[in-house]
Amino acid sequence: MTDVMTPDPTTTIDEQIDARFKKVRRRRIPKFGVMFGMTFLTVLIFLTVFADYLPFIRSPEAGVYVNGRLQSNYKLGPGYVAWWGTDGNGKDVFAKCIYFARYTLLIGISSTVIGLVVGGALGMLAGYFRGKTDRVISILVDCLLAIPALVLAIMLVSRLDDIKAEIPFLGWMSRLWQIILTLSILAVAPLARIVRAQTMALREREFVLASRSMGAGNARIVFREILPNLVPTMVTVAATGLGILIAAEGALAFIGVGIDTSWGFMINANRARLEKAWWATVFPCMMLFLTVLSFNLIGDNLSRRFDVREASV
Amino acid sequence: MSIGSPSNVTQAATREIAGPLLELTDVKTHFRTPRGLVRAVDGVSFTLERGKALGIVGESGSGKTILSRSIMGLLPTKGTERHGSIKFAGAEIGNKTRKQMRGIWGKEMAMIFQDPMTSLNPLMKIGDQIAEPLKIHLGMSKDDAMATARRLLQDVRIPEPDRRLQQYPHEMSGGMRQRVMIAIAMACGPTALFADEPTTALDVTVQAQILDVIAEQRRDRNMSLVLVTHDLGVVAGHTDEIAVMYGGKLVEKAPTRRLFAAMKMPYTEGLLASIPKLEEASHTRLNVIPGRPPDLVNPPKGCRFAPRCPYVSHKCLEEEPPLTVTPDDPAHSYACWYPVGSPEYHEAKARIASSVEAN
Repeated sequence: MTDVMTPDPTTTIDEQIDARFKKVRRRRIPKFGVMFGMTFLTVLIFLTVFADYLPFIRSPEAGVYVNGRLQSNYKLGPGYVAWWGTDGNGKDVFAKCIYFARYTLLIGISSTVIGLVVGGALGMLAGYFRGKTDRVISILVDCLLAIPALVLAIMLVSRLDDIKAEIPFLGWMSRLWQIILTLSILAVAPLARIVRAQTMALREREFVLASRSMGAGNARIVFREILPNLVPTMVTVAATGLGILIAAEGALAFIGVGIDTSWGFMINANRARLEKAWWATVFPCMMLFLTVLSFNLIGDNLSRRFDVREASV
Repeated sequence: MSIGSPSNVTQAATREIAGPLLELTDVKTHFRTPRGLVRAVDGVSFTLERGKALGIVGESGSGKTILSRSIMGLLPTKGTERHGSIKFAGAEIGNKTRKQMRGIWGKEMAMIFQDPMTSLNPLMKIGDQIAEPLKIHLGMSKDDAMATARRLLQDVRIPEPDRRLQQYPHEMSGGMRQRVMIAIAMACGPTALFADEPTTALDVTVQAQILDVIAEQRRDRNMSLVLVTHDLGVVAGHTDEIAVMYGGKLVEKAPTRRLFAAMKMPYTEGLLASIPKLEEASHTRLNVIPGRPPDLVNPPKGCRFAPRCPYVSHKCLEEEPPLTVTPDDPAHSYACWYPVGSPEYHEAKARIASSVEAN
């Protein structure tokens, strides 16, 4: 081992410098948690997107046949033919898990984006203008936060069913869209709250005053000075929030108000046979768990990183 | 001396209105707080000619920053009371709203802040930050604005301006960032520059450089400068006139040389005495003014400096001294009953000396 303080005299200066840089670089490798999260999500997204073209993923609708016979009623356990076994209808559990990730990720990402846009806008308005605007928005946000999220979600999804039936031009709204809309509303409140707090802190910062003293108007200050500084916070909260929303989507599907093409629905459909055919329940559970875990690990790391950044700026 | 006739040809003809650039009459800025009305600035009047530099000196809490922000109109509107008249180039700006002020900010008046570490947007490139006011006020195209930004960086003596334009604030030192702040303030060629303790957050060696850059810009652009500081050494070499503030009031105002040579106010004397001197042995105790600045919610009845003044007498505690002009120099005014040099002053000084000896 070469000590940094007393370098090996046989090496050249260049080599010593290289060695030092290597040390620094090694420290920069992200922690195991983030590495795991990134890897898992990358693999999952790749498999999901290219599922149609990958030879080892069956169609989730096609049954698994061995010697011409459908392997229904949980006949196949995890193994070579069907990696994660088959379910009651003889469908491949692995294929289902991969295909359903599409819906889960779509719902999670769409509702996060909608939540970010709406919540971010509300939070910035409240935090920047204060006064009456702030009071109205804050009361709305507090009301949303006061109701238990799951109860609100169940209520909203069923209300949307009625509304869809009453208003003809909302016919395009499938169950999927209803879930996205519901989860967006759930995401708005916490995001608005955090963005409001951050905006309030940022608007008092000296560079905002400096920019105002150069004649910048409100719009310019909000979009050029404050919004870019909000991005780290928003990204961090969005990453953690994505995990929560995916879990919420699973929960809705599990209790039967969500979509049928979901991990939550699979868990609910197969849990009665948990003792005999554990694979049909455990694997979707695992997928849900690992996906949420990945988003949380990434979110945690981001928050730690941006806090350091904020302090040093 | 040609009063109110700027000779600078680079400035727009519309700006050549006769009379002083800045005229303050009895300006008061009060804040409503749960404790009561804070009289941060309490009746300040002065005029500033075009192209001249005025130093506003005073310790923390004397109202100098609030005064400069009152003139700029940068204070929060909520809970603030503004009285008096502020005339800028002949037009009243004391009662203008923020929206109306926006055309003046940057173009006519600009400000440099105390801490260059926090007054630049950390997420925007230096070039974009300088170019922004150019685009807003002068309607320049992106390329023109960038070229101007590059020239401005050269003006404030930043080496390698092309590379600097592409950098973020965290890649620069404090002195560099303050230069960038000056460049931003200079961008639209303001007629008045407010520098709010521009060197307080910087190293001593960098301080001198920054002050030189500001002085150079002022000369080149025939700009008026209001230099707010607590450091008499800073204003000594860089201003034409000095106004000393205490407890929200102007207590002495004089041309720079005259102030240092023949100060009238014991407070000014105290400030000057507190500067460490080179010829003194090291570890000599610094002279301090005992006590603290007055509470601006309940200011003392008579002279606001009386509780801390070494030469205080009964009259000082009872009646407030008006701002009076010295007989020998109309530009020098002070607010003190028994100014430095008066018989009462010498008497009090002798009394202090004898009591020190007796101990």
